[in-house]
Amino acid sequence: MKPSPVRDALLAVRVPAELEAQRRAWAVVRGAYAEREPGPRHGRRLRLLVAVAVLAALVAAALSPPGRSVGGWIADRVAGEEPTEPALVRLPTAGQLLVLSEQGPWLVRPDGSKRLLGSYEGTSFSPRARYLVATEEREVVAVEPDGTVRWTVTRPTPVADARWAPVPGFHVAYREGETLRVVEGNGKGDRLLAENVAPVAPAWRPGEGRTVLAYASTDGRVHVVEADGQQLWATDPGAKPEQLVWSDDAGRLLVVTTGRRHPLYTAGGRAAGALETPEGQDVLDVSFAPGTREIGYSLYAPKSGQSSIVLAGERLQQGEGRFEDIVFSPNGRWLLTGWPEADQLLFIGLPGVRRLVTVPGIRDEFDPGGVGATSFPRVLEWCCRAPR
Amino acid sequence: MAGAGRDERAWVRGAQAGSASDFEALFRAHWPRAYRAAYLVVHDASAAEDLAQEGFLAAVRALDRFDATRPFGPWLHRIVVNRAIDWARARALRREVGAGETIEGFAAEERGAPAAPLPDDVVAALASLSPDHRAVVVLRYVLEYTPGEIARMLELPRGTVNSRLRRGLDALQDVVGRTEER
Repeated sequence: MKPSPVRDALLAVRVPAELEAQRRAWAVVRGAYAEREPGPRHGRRLRLLVAVAVLAALVAAALSPPGRSVGGWIADRVAGEEPTEPALVRLPTAGQLLVLSEQGPWLVRPDGSKRLLGSYEGTSFSPRARYLVATEEREVVAVEPDGTVRWTVTRPTPVADARWAPVPGFHVAYREGETLRVVEGNGKGDRLLAENVAPVAPAWRPGEGRTVLAYASTDGRVHVVEADGQQLWATDPGAKPEQLVWSDDAGRLLVVTTGRRHPLYTAGGRAAGALETPEGQDVLDVSFAPGTREIGYSLYAPKSGQSSIVLAGERLQQGEGRFEDIVFSPNGRWLLTGWPEADQLLFIGLPGVRRLVTVPGIRDEFDPGGVGATSFPRVLEWCCRAPR
Repeated sequence: MAGAGRDERAWVRGAQAGSASDFEALFRAHWPRAYRAAYLVVHDASAAEDLAQEGFLAAVRALDRFDATRPFGPWLHRIVVNRAIDWARARALRREVGAGETIEGFAAEERGAPAAPLPDDVVAALASLSPDHRAVVVLRYVLEYTPGEIARMLELPRGTVNSRLRRGLDALQDVVGRTEER
């Protein structure tokens, strides 16, 4: 190419933070490269056969009654109400989404731009979303929203379910095997909090003041303890807990179980009724609506293959397949769920479901460059409710 | 082109065989231009970082089926620049940032950089173009593709590429002081 003043001018433009950006990106890309499974060089024919099989399966699925009913359901619900977004180009209201795909957690900003934070297996926001805590194999990692690692705690065995305590955010709890551990928000002072802990994510009690944590033990009890391990109260053994959820005002703790009855407790540990769900239906996810004690949950009936979303006892949506997530916007005006069978995110406007925004193509959105089947990402959090 | 030629083919083959050092060499050879290209199209450093990163993640996923006899750069740049165009179009549609704010913000960023070698009006002239025009200018003058190659990368008629180049050069001409050759 001949000498060019235009080229010289464009190459001379100072691109902000070039080296820092390269360093951050390399950390993520290197992780993706390290995790890839190199395919055999002679495997092109096999891949072609797999691709043809996948395509055939997709065509069959699209032509099958469930496929048609999914399309029809979408048309019924959306026609005349809200357009389908061509891609995840914006969120309907303020806040940031945390989405977990096969590649790792993604931070999605209100304008729809997103960043892969690394190859972590799980993650959660700090109270004001200044940091995130993530886990990967034997490591607990605190990262900044741009992916920069702030600190790492390495344990002898795999870790999971790291959760940052509410404001002022002095503690992070996580599970290691059947133990529950706590580390300070600066990555120091890692210590054992409890043993015989069930594989259920611990739940910090919202609100400032005393730092209190709920966790489930392997004998079916739920324990509520201070960050120093002092037990405040515990339930009697019951149906196996699967999820622990606090209301924003910390006035209710919901224990989602494997059964039909999901008990509620007050902050002091008194029984406060229960959420009863129909026989033969699994609870996929649960959350309290922000600022209320209204419970939103997703039910799935394996026999019929139908899912429904219920809020405060009222059924908001139903459809073929599974509504995987119940995630409220920080202002409580939107409920977001993932719908793997339709490869969509559904933003459900509240109250009264007057608005419904569907965003298709979610697998591709969170799997750039991917080929073949990939699992549907999970929506973890929509940050941040205040106070937390 | 950066990384083109024998070294690059060796890096691709090495990376396909599991050599982390070869993959790193490939990354370091191509990151600066991919990031710069994305930045000059979207005028947002954070978005450019995301877009360039997504391009490399796509490269990781597709590495095993990549034909090592072909150059890596065009494949990467096609992904990054097309995504950058989509991002910039989406932002324009949302009207979150008006054109004036874009130019002002972009220029202000440059003003704040002590080592910035260019006057603000070069940056502002580029920012005044549409994302599609910026992409063509960047592909031609930053990534050094021919108009024919650009047409294939963006799936555009050759004439459209030429007209966009002309429009882009017209906008930049006053700044650089002379008309460019094609």
